[in-house]
Amino acid sequence: MATTLTPTTGVAVVLLLLFSLLTHHATSHPSDSLVSDLSALQSQSPNGVIHLTDALLRRILSLPTPRPFHFIIFFDAHHLHSKAELSLPALKSEFSLVSSSFQTNNPNQPPPLFFFEIEFQESQSSFAVFGINSIPHIRLIPPSAVDPKTDSIQMDASDFSRLADSMAEFIESRAKLTVGPIVRPPIVSQKQIFMIVVVILISIPFFVKRLISGNTILHDKNIWMAGAIFVYFFSVSGAMFNIIRKMPMFLVDRQDPNKLVFFYQGSGMQLGAEGFSIGFLYTIVGLLLALVTHLLVRLRNRNVQRLVMIVVLFVSFWAVRKVVLLDNWKTGYRIHAYWPSSW
Amino acid sequence: MSEPETSQSTALRHAFGNVLSFFILLLIGVLAFSIRLFSVIKYESVIHEFDPYFNYRVTQFLIKNGVYDFWNWFDDRTWYPLGRVIGGTVYPGLTLTAGALWRIFHSLNIPLSVETVCVFTAPIFSAFASWAAYLLTKEVKGTGAGLTAAVLLSMVPSYISRSVAGSYDNEAVAIFALIFTFYLYIKTLNTGSLFYATLNAIAYFYMVCSWGGYTFIINLIPMHVLLCIVTGRYSPRLYIAYAPLVVLGTLLASLVPVVGFNAVMTSEHFASFLVFIIIHVVALVYYIKGILTPQMFKVAVTLVVSVGLIVCCAALAVLIALVASSPTKGWSGRSLSLLDPTYASKYIPIIASVSEHQPPTWPSYFMDINVLAFLVPAGIIACFMPLSDASTFAVLYIVTSVYFSGVMVRLMLVLAPAACIMSGIALSEAFDVFTRSIKFQLLGATQSPQVNKAGDTNSVAKNDVVKTEISEDSLKERPSRKNKKKEKENIEKASSVSRIEKASLVSRIEKRLLVLPLEASVVAILLLVLLGAFYVVHCVWAAAEAYSAPSIVLTTRSNNGLHVFDDFREAYAWLSHNTEVDDKVASWWDYGYQTTAMANRTVIVDNNTWNNTHIATVGTAMSSPEKAAWEIFNSLDVKYVLVVFGGFVGYPSDDINKFLWMVRIGGGVFPHIKEPDYLRDGQYRIDSQATPTMLNSLMYKLSYYRFVETDGRGFDRVRNTEIGKKHFKLTHFEEVFTTHHWMVRLYKLKPPRNRIRGKTKKSKSVSGSIINQLCHAVHVYYCETCSVTLT
Repeated sequence: MATTLTPTTGVAVVLLLLFSLLTHHATSHPSDSLVSDLSALQSQSPNGVIHLTDALLRRILSLPTPRPFHFIIFFDAHHLHSKAELSLPALKSEFSLVSSSFQTNNPNQPPPLFFFEIEFQESQSSFAVFGINSIPHIRLIPPSAVDPKTDSIQMDASDFSRLADSMAEFIESRAKLTVGPIVRPPIVSQKQIFMIVVVILISIPFFVKRLISGNTILHDKNIWMAGAIFVYFFSVSGAMFNIIRKMPMFLVDRQDPNKLVFFYQGSGMQLGAEGFSIGFLYTIVGLLLALVTHLLVRLRNRNVQRLVMIVVLFVSFWAVRKVVLLDNWKTGYRIHAYWPSSW
Repeated sequence: MSEPETSQSTALRHAFGNVLSFFILLLIGVLAFSIRLFSVIKYESVIHEFDPYFNYRVTQFLIKNGVYDFWNWFDDRTWYPLGRVIGGTVYPGLTLTAGALWRIFHSLNIPLSVETVCVFTAPIFSAFASWAAYLLTKEVKGTGAGLTAAVLLSMVPSYISRSVAGSYDNEAVAIFALIFTFYLYIKTLNTGSLFYATLNAIAYFYMVCSWGGYTFIINLIPMHVLLCIVTGRYSPRLYIAYAPLVVLGTLLASLVPVVGFNAVMTSEHFASFLVFIIIHVVALVYYIKGILTPQMFKVAVTLVVSVGLIVCCAALAVLIALVASSPTKGWSGRSLSLLDPTYASKYIPIIASVSEHQPPTWPSYFMDINVLAFLVPAGIIACFMPLSDASTFAVLYIVTSVYFSGVMVRLMLVLAPAACIMSGIALSEAFDVFTRSIKFQLLGATQSPQVNKAGDTNSVAKNDVVKTEISEDSLKERPSRKNKKKEKENIEKASSVSRIEKASLVSRIEKRLLVLPLEASVVAILLLVLLGAFYVVHCVWAAAEAYSAPSIVLTTRSNNGLHVFDDFREAYAWLSHNTEVDDKVASWWDYGYQTTAMANRTVIVDNNTWNNTHIATVGTAMSSPEKAAWEIFNSLDVKYVLVVFGGFVGYPSDDINKFLWMVRIGGGVFPHIKEPDYLRDGQYRIDSQATPTMLNSLMYKLSYYRFVETDGRGFDRVRNTEIGKKHFKLTHFEEVFTTHHWMVRLYKLKPPRNRIRGKTKKSKSVSGSIINQLCHAVHVYYCETCSVTLT
């Protein structure tokens, strides 16, 4: 019974354990040295993702199967990080999040699963070993895999669609390892929260004092006006749609890569730049109308008034016309009136 | 010199203006009512879509059995075997309103059927809503703006979409209640009268009875109060407008069974209580400021502020503790998805699956509020020009509603009245300026200006000058609540005297100068009229073409004339004539309300998606192979299964297109259903490339059974492919009825074989359903999401 262990039996058990460990170490394989190397590399990396090189990969693959661990590789290409539609940086950070969560949830050594990332430009031959010609690509290599190309398991697009959580599910279902809950670093650390709270608490009395005397930024109605107009612009431009659906500002034309597509045909979708330009047209007409009715009337000079009005009318007419035409083009609606056919 | 004469002529003008306004409002009401009749003219007088059928059924019950039975009604026709407590889970406002209307008509010996009353409730209330918009805008910016706003609201497409004849849903009466509550709040704010404050609480009660959107009111009004306090606009009128509303309103709201203790327990309401505390602190500060000298006040201020801060901090701490202790942090899923827009799409498939909960793109705004989108910014600026309590409220209303509409398409409905009010203000100000310019310069050229000026400017400039004066002196010159009546009279007298004096004086000095060039004004007016005309054309078109379809009857126009698809009613009629009264019918939840209302048969799940596990059970059955599905359905006593199939006629919102959501919702509770099993390389397909799991699922089989016999190759007109598995037999189900256009197919569960071994699988009831109060009114599934989120 573990609970009734006397100190002497405890010591004996520990000694026995040590002995068994030592003997095990004495008959060590090449795999053990590799595992300890990998563990060392892993502990050096802040999130536990090991940078994989051609040499290291060869060493791992040279081990006799079954290898003592699973490993999962994130295939990265720095020169493609700028392509927004691949979202490589985001996937990479999610991948390292899975890695660090795995380590915090499974602290036992040696780990049954190693996380690697490999860079295309320095290890092209490794990419060839796995036969990879498109990214984003994440691959899990089980211990029994002999041929890396056929025996490893590719992570489907649907498996990283929900980012870290679905990656963890993938690992759990395929490698039969538990990743545990994903530990996301909080956006602001405890210290920062504390600081913010202190700053707010200190500033409250000053703020209240100014509030009572009535000269804060909040008492300037122009700021409120600008804020209101901005919220309006932001909403009618469908910016919320762009945020929720993570729409890019524009697309590259499939037929002609040099051409950019700014307007998407079909009412269920819109691109970022498209939304903002229409939002601008929606807003500008109202602003010009307000300019005429509230500012221009106060002007004494007739000719300036005339000139400004001509410009305003022209711009407004053009904006409304443009929106109507674009709407008809985008949605395909043909709005028509119903004229009486007979009296 | 000519004061009595002028006052007499203004009185005459006033009288004439009032009569004219009355007739204009009458016509606006007629317009609001009649523009919504397209659905009746084009189709027939029939209840539309899904939720209205439930409301119709409830109304029938109410009229037949009376209010008390309705209150205690336990409905065993839905959610078999659980049932549903209707009285405690439904917003009763709409039903009671229609019931009252029916009773009124019958007491006047007008024998209308229940269905007729239900069909026309929405148009009647949209006329009321236009009048309420007139009242609200009049309080903000005067009669001219009010009339313009009312006429705009009477035909704004966004509102038409929810209030055409036959669209018998909560929103139909709720929008009226919303606007009217806001009007009474502003009225109280402008007058400081407790009478209006009480009315306001009652209007709020009606709103709580009608729609879950009442939380918008109970958050917007506190926000406005807070804004007024922060910007130094606190006044006793603000207190009178707010405090009774919170106290009476909360008490009344908790009388509605569906709200009950939520009125004090959920964090949607906490803002109002917090502001309630703050306004008392502020009132105390103002009171002390009034009785102390400035020096003493400075001393006192530190004391009061610190005490107030402590109280606020304590209250805040309690609130935070309360909020943090509840699992969703006290916020229901739908409210959370407003604040954090990505919440729903991440965590709640049943919310994300509904098309009205998607964020809108810019064409949605053009479709739903049309040219008002251009005018609103001008209205916002006009509200700032002389800033009053009422106009800050209008600005706050438009800003919050436009933000919320950006998160969810369905909230466009709340934006529409605000947009109409703002555009009404903008249009009337613009017309004011332009007509004034034309009038002055034309008259100035022909007649001697002195004679006409006083009278004309009076009438022209009446609105804005008088309004701002009233609001300003009522703002400043109301020190206490004593002698209210007398004071009111005094002020009214004083202001009516000063109105004439000041208006004529001010206008004589200023208005003469505030003109624009004649010809430019003429052009501008022409363009504005053109814009208005375009709006009317668009609205009529939207009412006639886009929003009038009842979706229970479909029509298409082809070369050889109009073609009507009446398959739904055909199927429901078959059910009601050919099945036993107690038979249970399983279908996806969209068709639950219609089945109970039209076929009068018991359903397993319906559009009131309160029990996620139950829905997931049906989703699992539909996603399972035939045998497993049979066992699930048999365990629920299901006799018939109903599927909607559009592949034959090309009806896109059928069950195959919704199928992935069934898989997702089913998989959320029963993990052996996995979405990737139904997808080939992340793509949803039903052709020969489809996965075996997909081809063997019950939904596939029931949809495409014998489909190949129609054209010999099984070409699906919605998915535009040939189906994957063409010839197969059903082992556990038998086809009993397929409608004329194959849109609804009914299957019967085969009786169990004699030696069925083992126990039938009971569906595990997982406690803690994700969603309790959810998505009503589901129209079309959002098919694009499948392709967007999956690839």
